[in-house]
Amino acid sequence: MTPQGPIVHPRRRRLRATIAGLAIFALVAVFVVRLVDIQVVHAATLNADAIGKRSVSTTIYGDRGEIVDTNGTVLAGTVLRYDITAAPKFAQAGYSTTDSKGVTHSYTIDQAAAQIASATGATKATILAGLTTNKTSLYAKLVGGVDVDAYDKIQKLGITWVYPVRTTSRTYPDGAVAGNLVGFVGSAGTGQAGLEQEYNTCLAGKNGSQTSERGADGVKLPGSTVTTKEAVGGGTVVTTIDANLQYQMQQDLNEQVAAIGATSGSVVVMKKDGTLLAVADSGSVDPNNIDATPAADRYSKAFQASYEPGSTFKAMTAATAINLGVASPASQEIVASSRSFPWGGRIGDAEAHPVEHLTLAGILADSSNVGISYIGEKVSKQQRYDAMLKFGLGRTSEVKFPGESVGQLRTASQWDSQTDINSMFGQGVGATAIQTASIYQTIANGGVRMPVKLVKGCRQADGTITEVPSNTGTRVVSQQAATDVIQMLENTIPQGTLKGMTPISGYNVAAKTGTAQIADGPGGSYGHDYIISVAGIAPAENPQYVVLVTFNKPTTLKTSFAAAPAFREIMSQVLETYRVTPSTVPASTLPDTW
Amino acid sequence: MSMNLAVARQTLGHPDEFLEGPAPRRSPIEIVTSRVQRQARPRIVYALVATAALFVLLLTQLGVSIAVSQGAYQVSALQNTQIELDRAQQKYGEKLQVLSSPQNIANNATALGMVRNQDPVYLDLSTEKVYGTPTPATGTAASSHNLIANSLLTGTKVVTEKAAPAGSTTTASGSAGAAAANQATAKVPSTTNQLAAPQTR
Repeated sequence: MTPQGPIVHPRRRRLRATIAGLAIFALVAVFVVRLVDIQVVHAATLNADAIGKRSVSTTIYGDRGEIVDTNGTVLAGTVLRYDITAAPKFAQAGYSTTDSKGVTHSYTIDQAAAQIASATGATKATILAGLTTNKTSLYAKLVGGVDVDAYDKIQKLGITWVYPVRTTSRTYPDGAVAGNLVGFVGSAGTGQAGLEQEYNTCLAGKNGSQTSERGADGVKLPGSTVTTKEAVGGGTVVTTIDANLQYQMQQDLNEQVAAIGATSGSVVVMKKDGTLLAVADSGSVDPNNIDATPAADRYSKAFQASYEPGSTFKAMTAATAINLGVASPASQEIVASSRSFPWGGRIGDAEAHPVEHLTLAGILADSSNVGISYIGEKVSKQQRYDAMLKFGLGRTSEVKFPGESVGQLRTASQWDSQTDINSMFGQGVGATAIQTASIYQTIANGGVRMPVKLVKGCRQADGTITEVPSNTGTRVVSQQAATDVIQMLENTIPQGTLKGMTPISGYNVAAKTGTAQIADGPGGSYGHDYIISVAGIAPAENPQYVVLVTFNKPTTLKTSFAAAPAFREIMSQVLETYRVTPSTVPASTLPDTW
Repeated sequence: MSMNLAVARQTLGHPDEFLEGPAPRRSPIEIVTSRVQRQARPRIVYALVATAALFVLLLTQLGVSIAVSQGAYQVSALQNTQIELDRAQQKYGEKLQVLSSPQNIANNATALGMVRNQDPVYLDLSTEKVYGTPTPATGTAASSHNLIANSLLTGTKVVTEKAAPAGSTTTASGSAGAAAANQATAKVPSTTNQLAAPQTR
């Protein structure tokens, strides 16, 4: 043990301890002040600074949704594309790459331009121009919208001053199939026509963004993701259209329009519950290549073209009369070839014929204008007008297709005496093909009109289905009236205006023809061209499908019989596609004459 | 007796020392450790253990941190792979959709020499009834080719090819005697290494 050190005065000992304590305290105080300064006073700015240097924001993409047919076939979709941009400032020196063996290859800007051109399918001149127009710029777009193949090739080149930017493009894999319905998008990616336009809010997606902190080499620091905004993918519009049937209809139309020398044609196939299975126009636009079709043909004529439908309206007149109890299939009329009215008007049948004793069934089968005028007169103008409203005329259908026409009905008080009579056989009033098809849907559905449906709904990204259309029907005529009309219309093919058409063997088909005059003559008078149509319901004893075929200004034959081959072909295809059981009961044969 | 008892040895001086002051010590006070104390561990061991434990904890934490960082690199690499695969799936999905279009199928069918037949015939097997009028397809492949545009198909080759000229009869005159045309009068020729096609009705 060592002896104690020199004797220290107690007071001096206390002094030393105090000085040491003060020194330590002062040091600690400095640190504390500094700490408070950093952690509390400057905390916000320092944090923001640090995050700004470390964190990277990436976009999570919510792309535009698809439009699909009833079976899921994609009619319109979004595909990945890339815009190839470059920084011309660094491009002037060309570029060089080192491969895995350590060999360095150098390329001039000229060679680089050629390589980019061959990878993307653009011309070398365009690429070179993009790179040399503004030699100090940091941004130049060389080629827009190249596909993933081109992107892979560009990446393989390994040019440091080329920056591909992700973008999207709209594609229509089935081309012109349902092109008139799907519509197309403009350069900003919003719908310009058709379903693309009508369901734009459903289809549009919303991009999100994700901020996370990354190290110097770009790898995300573990546990540091902060999602600032969720991306929302666009919803899927599920249509009721059957793409295969639509293709067949369009193919048939194109063939038949050429065969009968018409300017155009359209087909509407509707189920008895108002669901549209096909809405086809001849010469439909291919949304991938809009410019190939004249602007007047880039829309759906079935929805947007209103025309005087002609004799197909007689079924509606007959149904209205039977519903109000003033007529029946056995109603007897003496029908001459023409008829004059006390107020000076005159109507005539399509073909001259001797005076005939026709029942209502015969009037419909032969499509006699004179005959239907007797039946129609038994109902007041207002009653017929009200029935037309209930049948869906004079307003757009429930589909609310962009640009859809309301037809031309006006009001009953605005009808002059000639229009009053003409409306009984579909002249003097205008309707679209969809409206006419809807009339036959009502008759096929036992007198209950169902809302016309083109879209089943919008399936959101999370699976919920929104914008489901209404399925509530309205009674327009009685079940008896509807059944009577269908039975009467079964006479058309064996004995009526379609006599001579090869029947659709195995099925009882109810049909009504229409040969409508067009008011495009001088002064709004009727010219010499016709719009022919055939409306059919099959099978007659248990109606399932409604088909309406319309042709515009045929030249080989100007009566509705020119539409017979098309109608037969199309109705057969519909029955075949949906495996409808052939009829087991014989066709109705109501007497035509008395 | 207590273990820490110090045994003090002091030489007592004469009684008159009290008057002169304490006598100088001859030997220092010595504290002798007891046996138990000698065998006890040095206290420094506890400090070393504590420090070592601290170091072990720090090292473990470092190891875990390294593992997590490795994981981050793996995650990054896998995410890149996923992005690449998504791109590839997109690319092929797009091509598949175009090739599945009805126009492409029609083009391939036409290339095979198939024609459209507008007269469906139904066979009811239970009643052995034939609905419809069996009619051979009129027209040639050239006249029933696809009429619907699809600009995405430009440049796509058909995958089918017409084989050696087929012998089936599809003339327009067949439509007159419709039912009889069911009996094909020519066999479909077969290539040498295939079975001969049966004569069908």
